[in-house]
Amino acid sequence: MLSTVPLNVGRRRVCGSVFSPASLEAHPPKSTLDLQREQMPNASFQESTDSSSTFKADSQSTSFATIGGSTDAASPEEDTLNQARQAAKEFLSVPNLGFELLYKFRNTDGSQVLKEWNRLSPPSTETAEALEYLMRASPWTLFEWYGNDIRRHFLVNFRTGLSKLSKSTGGGLLRTIVDCLQLARRIYLAPVVQHLLPLIATPQAGGFLAQLQRAFTTVVQYSLPWKKISPLLARELTQDAVIILGIDTLDEDSDADRMSLDGAEMERAYSVSYKDWRQESPEARTHMMVEGEDGRVIMARDQLLEFLSGLQLVGLGGDQAQKVFANVMNVMMGDFIRAAYAGEWESPSTAPQHLEQWVENVYARLAVQVLAIIHSDPAGAQSGAMDVSFRDVEKWRLMGIARLGKLRVSELFDVVVDWPASCGAVEDLRRFTSNSSGARLYVTHFFSINLLQRLLHPGASTVEILQVYISIIRAFHILDPKGVLLDRIARPIRRYLRDRDDTVKVIVSGLLADPATADEPANTGDTLTELAAELTKVHQHSMQNNRSELDYDDLYWVPDPVDAAPDYKKSRSVDVIDSLVSLFDSKETFVKEMQTLLADRLIQKRQNYDQEITVLELLKVRFGDSALQACEVMLKDIADSRRLDLTVRNDQILSGHRKQAGVGKLHAKILSRFFWPEFQEQEFKVPDEIIKLQERYAACFERRKDSRKLMWRNALGQVTVELELENHTFKDEVTTWQATVIYAFQSDSDEPATKTIPELADELEMTPPLIRSACLFWVSKRILTEVHRDTFRVLEVLPTEDEEDNAHAAGDFSDASDSEAGDTATAAAAAEAAAAAAAKESAEAAAMEKMNVHWQFIVGMLTNQGPMALNRIVMMLKIAVPGGFPFSNEELREFLAGMVSKGKLEIVNGGNYKIVH
Amino acid sequence: MDYSMEDTQNSAPEAQQANKLHTSGQKTDTQSVTKRLQAELMQLMLSPSPGISAFPDADGNLLSWTATITGPTETPYEGLILKLSFEFPNNYPYSPPTVLFKTPIYHPNVDFSGRICLDILKDKWSAVYNVSSVLLSLQSLLGEPNNASPLNAQAAELWDSDQAEFKRHVLARHQDLDDE
Repeated sequence: MLSTVPLNVGRRRVCGSVFSPASLEAHPPKSTLDLQREQMPNASFQESTDSSSTFKADSQSTSFATIGGSTDAASPEEDTLNQARQAAKEFLSVPNLGFELLYKFRNTDGSQVLKEWNRLSPPSTETAEALEYLMRASPWTLFEWYGNDIRRHFLVNFRTGLSKLSKSTGGGLLRTIVDCLQLARRIYLAPVVQHLLPLIATPQAGGFLAQLQRAFTTVVQYSLPWKKISPLLARELTQDAVIILGIDTLDEDSDADRMSLDGAEMERAYSVSYKDWRQESPEARTHMMVEGEDGRVIMARDQLLEFLSGLQLVGLGGDQAQKVFANVMNVMMGDFIRAAYAGEWESPSTAPQHLEQWVENVYARLAVQVLAIIHSDPAGAQSGAMDVSFRDVEKWRLMGIARLGKLRVSELFDVVVDWPASCGAVEDLRRFTSNSSGARLYVTHFFSINLLQRLLHPGASTVEILQVYISIIRAFHILDPKGVLLDRIARPIRRYLRDRDDTVKVIVSGLLADPATADEPANTGDTLTELAAELTKVHQHSMQNNRSELDYDDLYWVPDPVDAAPDYKKSRSVDVIDSLVSLFDSKETFVKEMQTLLADRLIQKRQNYDQEITVLELLKVRFGDSALQACEVMLKDIADSRRLDLTVRNDQILSGHRKQAGVGKLHAKILSRFFWPEFQEQEFKVPDEIIKLQERYAACFERRKDSRKLMWRNALGQVTVELELENHTFKDEVTTWQATVIYAFQSDSDEPATKTIPELADELEMTPPLIRSACLFWVSKRILTEVHRDTFRVLEVLPTEDEEDNAHAAGDFSDASDSEAGDTATAAAAAEAAAAAAAKESAEAAAMEKMNVHWQFIVGMLTNQGPMALNRIVMMLKIAVPGGFPFSNEELREFLAGMVSKGKLEIVNGGNYKIVH
Repeated sequence: MDYSMEDTQNSAPEAQQANKLHTSGQKTDTQSVTKRLQAELMQLMLSPSPGISAFPDADGNLLSWTATITGPTETPYEGLILKLSFEFPNNYPYSPPTVLFKTPIYHPNVDFSGRICLDILKDKWSAVYNVSSVLLSLQSLLGEPNNASPLNAQAAELWDSDQAEFKRHVLARHQDLDDE
């Protein structure tokens, strides 16, 4: 049964049975105890193996007791012992002088304070003898008593003072505390070290000192709870570590860069700055962080190490302090990486190398130095074992790389926006993502969130989104050539782009843009000229790279990465155009838009259409000939009509139709209607002279091309107009309707022609808004002037400045808008606005056309189903109309209100619409 | 119209085939019926014939419609608005729709519950017919009843004997459904 009780207890009990319980001094000397301890494993071994363990243990204890008993047995000796003890106690006892004194002397070397506390005076001869005797007889008891006395004294004298001090605030508080505690420690231990320990053999002396030390540290730890100390310690550590690790200089650097760029570079041999490091040669780089430390750094390091050894000495080091230190270093690593590498995106990136070097030379160095001081085992200081293994350093390096990756991920959106200036950042990130799928997931997850927040919202223009998307494609191609990450990132973007109405338009106009202007920075506005450049650039190698997934001869085939989505398909290359074009399920949308834009451009009067032809050829390589057949025909139409135009012209000359005075030349573009997109246009009557020309042209054409008829689209095209007025002339290209309107003002009489808009509308069969727009255009060119609202007169004589002023001042014939119309700029704006209004009107007419179909549905619905409320009508239309119902409730309400006012509908009880028979 | 090309003589076997398919591929059938009805509706809306109109009911599956016929001029039904219901089977157009007069009508070929005796809605049905042709047939039936096979014998008799009395009966029986 004794085997279940700890041996210690058993021994004590045996001791107690031999000696009186009061005689604590009867403890055997430590050496015996040590001896005993050495035997203990032996004993326990016997116990566990031998069945007669009880007996064995007993015999051990007994032998121990006899040894103890032999050292002091007689009572006269005990008297001497007591006397000696008394003398020793008197010598050792510490005067109760209080904490203030300690605090006052905290910055001195301590000799003064020791004198104050009466710790330096050597013992008298008698005391010395007593001490010597005691040391020989039973040093253990004396030290035990002194340990208790230290505790008592500390609690009485210093505890309240300390706790008061620790409540105060201010920098270096912990340093003050540690200084005070160090003094206190010296007060307690000085006489022991000076007068007692020399009397004992060295191996034992260490043990006794450690015992006292322990007594001191326990009471310190008791008085200063760790909860209070750890934040203070963290603050102290951070303060110095920031300097030693060079983080503060990094912050400074960036400030200095911002403040002065005068090029007066400080000559700095030692630097942890990544920027400086990059500029050095590779040989210099290796030395940069090792040699030539700053004075500040050295000072801070010394200071910190000194402080820490003090801390360790007074018992505040150890495990707890290590924990705090680890926390601080953890934060430091993040701080350093952020300070050193944020925004440093140049390629080729050497940031990981720099980081590794920093970890090895600066970070690990500090860790080694600090951990050598604050070790957990007080005895370990002498063991000389390395507190920091190379494995640890390796771990820190990996940690650093991971942190760098994290930083880059958080910067990724800006990196992408800055592409390709930010190539280096992506290289860093590749290092981070290449080894773990967790990191890859993190990248995509984080970046997707970022995208949603910063890009995919209504505030971003489609051009911007596409631009970023292009950058993403390129950046992620570097990051992950397999394309899995891109695949994951791109999905939300593509989905979003598909929802945008103008995506196709932006892409197509980007493709058709002039690549020569792509490099101009000013051209980043509203077209993706980059696409045009990309189109010419990419197509060469995209063609070579046209391997399919199932290429059995591909010896370099590797399976898809593990984190690929099930429907993942590897894209062949970093083909931006392909990615954009494949946004849409069918090429049709794309081709249709292409047609519309191409049509607009082809109708313009230009010398050649090489640009369009090039783009079309390039696109044909991608889409195949058949998809772009319509565009092909359009281009051919233009080329053909130029030839035809020449022949027709020759025919006309040959057949004797000479150019008549006052009538211009007519060039035509013959479009194959079937292949061109619908043009929204406003028809009107062109001047008779032009009609005659058209007829003649048509006749010539029909002679050339049998069975084909010309239909004139008067609204499309350009007219070169030459106007001769009394004191000024005008020559420019204008639209056909503008020309038609000004032609109507032509007159032979001397009086300037005056026309009103209704007159013109009758004459030209043109809509009033369009006429107004044209008139305002001419007003802006100072050909017409608006005498009254909607009445225009030819401005034969340009008014001089004075007259104009008068006209403004008098304002007799005009309301506000008229006098403004004198101002050409305003008039130009007004003309544009009017043109826009006209365009809107034609668009509205088209919408009305569409609405008419819906009107038939509504009539059918209301006829058969009886009166219905608006919501129900909308719902039914959505079901019944093929392709859905594109108008909102409000639009329909307006439309129906129009029908009500036309008397085709009526509103019956409860807001239901009812058809009127 | 896709089906206008179809040969009438083929209608019977195809109807059988459709019936066979009916059990296995009901979903595709319904889809094709819906498609066909949508096309018919579109045609009705884009080229409306005067006096007839039809539109699906609000239940959303397009299989039941309501139609409206305005009584033809120079008939006893002149100016009257007559409502009908169309129920399309799942194998439409291989089977005829069930057409009933909803508005009470006094007519030799229509009984008092609105059932219609019209050959093209029974054995003479063919897939080339559609809603608008059915409605046009019914419209002409109003002016020219088939008195050889009356459902309402009294009406058939009156039609031949006393047009004025017939018209009185028509007006007496007629009620506008909108007033419900």
